[in-house]
Amino acid sequence: MARFVDLAVSAVLLAGLYATMAYGLGLIYGVLRVVNLAHGGVIMAGAYLGWVLHGWVGLDPYASIPIVVAATFLLGVAMYRVLVRHLPRGAAGGPASLLLLFGVWLVLRNAAYLLFTGNDQVIRTSYSTHAIPLLGSWVSVNRLAVLAIAVVTPALLQLLLRRTYLGRAIRAVAQNADSCTLVGIDVQRIYTITFGIGTALAGLAGLLSATLFSFNPGFGASELLKSFVVVVLGGLGSVLGTGLAALILAVVEVFAILVMPSYLTAAVGFVMLVLVLVLRPGGLFGQRVLG
Amino acid sequence: MSPSRRPLPLALATAAVLAAGALAPSSAHAAKDKIVVGATLPLTGAEARVGGFFKEGYDLAFEELSKKGGLDVGGKKLPVQLVLLDDTSTQATAVSLADRLVNSDRVDFLLGTYASHLVEAQSTVAEENKIPYVNGGGGATKIYKRGFKYLFGLISPVELLGTTLMQWIDEQQRAGKLPKPAKIALLWENTAHGKDFRKGVSDFAGKSGGAYQIAVDESFELNGKDFGALLGKVKAAAVDLFLVDAHLPDYITMHRQYVAAGLCHKIVTYGARGAEKDAIQALGPENTAYVLSGVWWSPQLAAKPGPSRDFVTAFKAKYGGREPEWFQALAYESARVLFSAIQQTGKVDREAVREKLQATKMQSLLPGGTVELKAQFGNQVQNPFVVQQNQKDGSAPIIFPPDAATGTGVGANPKCPK
Amino acid sequence: MTRWPAIFPPRAAIPFALVVVALALLPVLVGVTPYERNLFTLTFLMISGALAWNWMGGYLGQVSFGHAALFGLGGFVAARLMLHANPTPAPIAWFLGGVAAGIFSLGAHPMLRLRGPYFSIATIGVGEASRLLFTYWEEFTGGASGLSLPIDIGMKALLYWWALGLMALVVVASFLIRRSTLGLQLLAIKADVDAAADVGVNATFYQDLVMVLSGAVVGLTGGLYASFFAFIEPSDMFGFDRSIAFVLMSVIGGVGTILGPVLGAIVFVLLRQFLLASYPQLYLGLYGLLLILIILFEPLGLTGLGLRVARAVRRRRAGARRVVASP
Repeated sequence: MARFVDLAVSAVLLAGLYATMAYGLGLIYGVLRVVNLAHGGVIMAGAYLGWVLHGWVGLDPYASIPIVVAATFLLGVAMYRVLVRHLPRGAAGGPASLLLLFGVWLVLRNAAYLLFTGNDQVIRTSYSTHAIPLLGSWVSVNRLAVLAIAVVTPALLQLLLRRTYLGRAIRAVAQNADSCTLVGIDVQRIYTITFGIGTALAGLAGLLSATLFSFNPGFGASELLKSFVVVVLGGLGSVLGTGLAALILAVVEVFAILVMPSYLTAAVGFVMLVLVLVLRPGGLFGQRVLG
Repeated sequence: MSPSRRPLPLALATAAVLAAGALAPSSAHAAKDKIVVGATLPLTGAEARVGGFFKEGYDLAFEELSKKGGLDVGGKKLPVQLVLLDDTSTQATAVSLADRLVNSDRVDFLLGTYASHLVEAQSTVAEENKIPYVNGGGGATKIYKRGFKYLFGLISPVELLGTTLMQWIDEQQRAGKLPKPAKIALLWENTAHGKDFRKGVSDFAGKSGGAYQIAVDESFELNGKDFGALLGKVKAAAVDLFLVDAHLPDYITMHRQYVAAGLCHKIVTYGARGAEKDAIQALGPENTAYVLSGVWWSPQLAAKPGPSRDFVTAFKAKYGGREPEWFQALAYESARVLFSAIQQTGKVDREAVREKLQATKMQSLLPGGTVELKAQFGNQVQNPFVVQQNQKDGSAPIIFPPDAATGTGVGANPKCPK
Repeated sequence: MTRWPAIFPPRAAIPFALVVVALALLPVLVGVTPYERNLFTLTFLMISGALAWNWMGGYLGQVSFGHAALFGLGGFVAARLMLHANPTPAPIAWFLGGVAAGIFSLGAHPMLRLRGPYFSIATIGVGEASRLLFTYWEEFTGGASGLSLPIDIGMKALLYWWALGLMALVVVASFLIRRSTLGLQLLAIKADVDAAADVGVNATFYQDLVMVLSGAVVGLTGGLYASFFAFIEPSDMFGFDRSIAFVLMSVIGGVGTILGPVLGAIVFVLLRQFLLASYPQLYLGLYGLLLILIILFEPLGLTGLGLRVARAVRRRRAGARRVVASP
């Protein structure tokens, strides 16, 4: 029984991590129908930014959240305005958008190598290994913080989408971009802002990761691949679905250790990805555009 | 009309220009006025961190040699130049660049790269071209089991790391400090390195007549992010010894989660990583106390006068007082062994140098004091590892083998009762 | 049944044949260093792989990010056969590797229903799952340590001609597929699979066919790759970087064309060497920049650029002629 509780706690914490990683990717795809392959690069950028702030100014990672979020938001806006904007919309843009953003990722990686070298870095704070007892096992405070943010983010996003004009505009654009111009919504502006929010979420994920793991310029690749699994399971564009999908993925991966070697539990997610795409392309919760 | 027909001439022209750029040799030397040694290292990519350290070792060795004016060859003192390229931690690049160094830049000898899979791939180029290849970066035994004559390894087999750790642990068990039988959780990164470590430990356990039982035997992916489930399995198995082989990032991640989960075992090791300064800084000295590590070389060997001390002094002088670790030492030693062989031969003759390398028997900074490259081991050194243990005061003395020891180890972590 | 009409028009066939013959005789007549010869061999292999990928990605429009699974499978099957107690001769081993990869591709049949990015993401899943499974399957791949093949001194030299031959066959096959009725059918499927079905194109059969051919050739390439390096290991063969390489080569060169993957592979191998030797600090970023520029300004990659230049040159020449001709 204790074993079960241990695994369940592990799964929930892991779900928090997966969800945080995937929100940005899901939002951008949901509204722009663009697969942001630079997602991993922005995660890495967020991690490095947090590390720089911590190292140079002594800023606690959680205190630097607003700065990192703002900076990666601006990065996303720049990426959209300069590059992504020119891509053809819709299915025709498919491989093109994938590869354009992959190119951006390579550039980001190179920039990181030049600025910081390839060495592994880590943010160490006084509470890096602190844990609190919970349900019979010990839980790292950083992991709890990540979980909290994973739960709060979709709530905030929901608020944004339902209660603000911007949010309603975003939902409208996601449903039917052409009609939006008819009602006076500046579609390009909405796209820009959404892309920025997506990258801001990625940057946040990166910052949080930096409190948990070590990172180097190659960081973000496996996170990106896992995020794909989560976003597809959740239905490519549904923020709530992403959160739930993260939980399902985490539970399956963690409990799989009871029946298979630990090394292979990572493959489970990818098998699920393929199965869901083939059997239920709308994701586990059916294709919803947003919310 | 096929649209691809027209641009064909243009394409050929482009290809020719690119080919010229790619193929142009980076250096050309007519008369023998210097000895050129080629090498690649992973200066970017997955192995960039250690690649950089190896470069420091090579640089130091070459700098020392140039201060002496070079090597005595055929009556003259010839300078020795290092041509170092970045193989980006990929196999194909390591091989192509080695090819280029040998066949285009016409280097005389090769020094090795870092990481077993890169060395394994790159050494085939050396063997095919009959050019001596001296490396300190490929520890997997299978590299040296192919019957190669031109490949020489200054890095002891990783299996021996597992075995050496178990030997010290065995001493503790015999002294009654550890339970008998002792249950082991064996976690290993799924790389050539990890597999060899696992083999060393499990072979030892298998031959121990039941003194050790491996209760958990699991591999994990490099740069894993979450070891929650795995550590949960370890916890449930209630083992006595926690033996892991991991690279630095996984060490940090896993040990953080280990500590946060409240785990504690009488013996904890992460293979070669325990005493690394970056790790102690990242995790905190109170969390890394009593962690064992087995390394190919430790700066503590400089406590006694000898090649280790000379090396440490020279390194500190060049790199602003910083202390070297085993990476720089092995790279330095590889270069030194090559230089010695060339010097003994007296000429820049690959076959003759190969013979001298094979017959190497010289004083070395490696544990054990001497280095030999015996054909029966595939030209891989079999020098012992040194086992270090982090102490509460932040030091990490060598506790095994006895002739190199600078301190005594704590048999069982006092923080873990029962 | 598909007809095979004038598949290879003389205008394309003759220069191509000349190039192949020239390349074949190059080491013999002019003499190249082993380094150059090896670089060419690797380029020929990459061209074959990129062209085969392009059959799926360019002709059919199904962009695969998981072709490394087929490459690795072919390579390891071939390597295992060559390491057997009764070693299989290399060419047969390579062929069987290709067959194995082709059969494995059939398993992706259900995925062919997916469109656009959905298919691509699914292939990512297949690629990663394969990597993990095959890395774990030690008995087959040797696990993380990989497999070492015995050194065969003459093999690397011979591989030059083997790879050249393979490349020539794949180029011819590319023309065959593209210019035959099969090619038209693929174009129809790429444009609109439902409409294609409405006009009687057996979409499922042809998609499967192309996928098997593509997988088989990529697997074959993997086998030659294994012999070339005499050592392969799962993270290099099955890695995401490997899958991306196939995509990059075709897109940079010009996806959907025949010259495209050829140019792309040449750029990929040679440019990489050039950048690594001259600008090691910047090669990642330069690659990324190249990709960005191509996607934004010339979707047909280097081939498209070449076409534009050719057209501009023609226009200027026609303009000049007009000027000269008028009295």
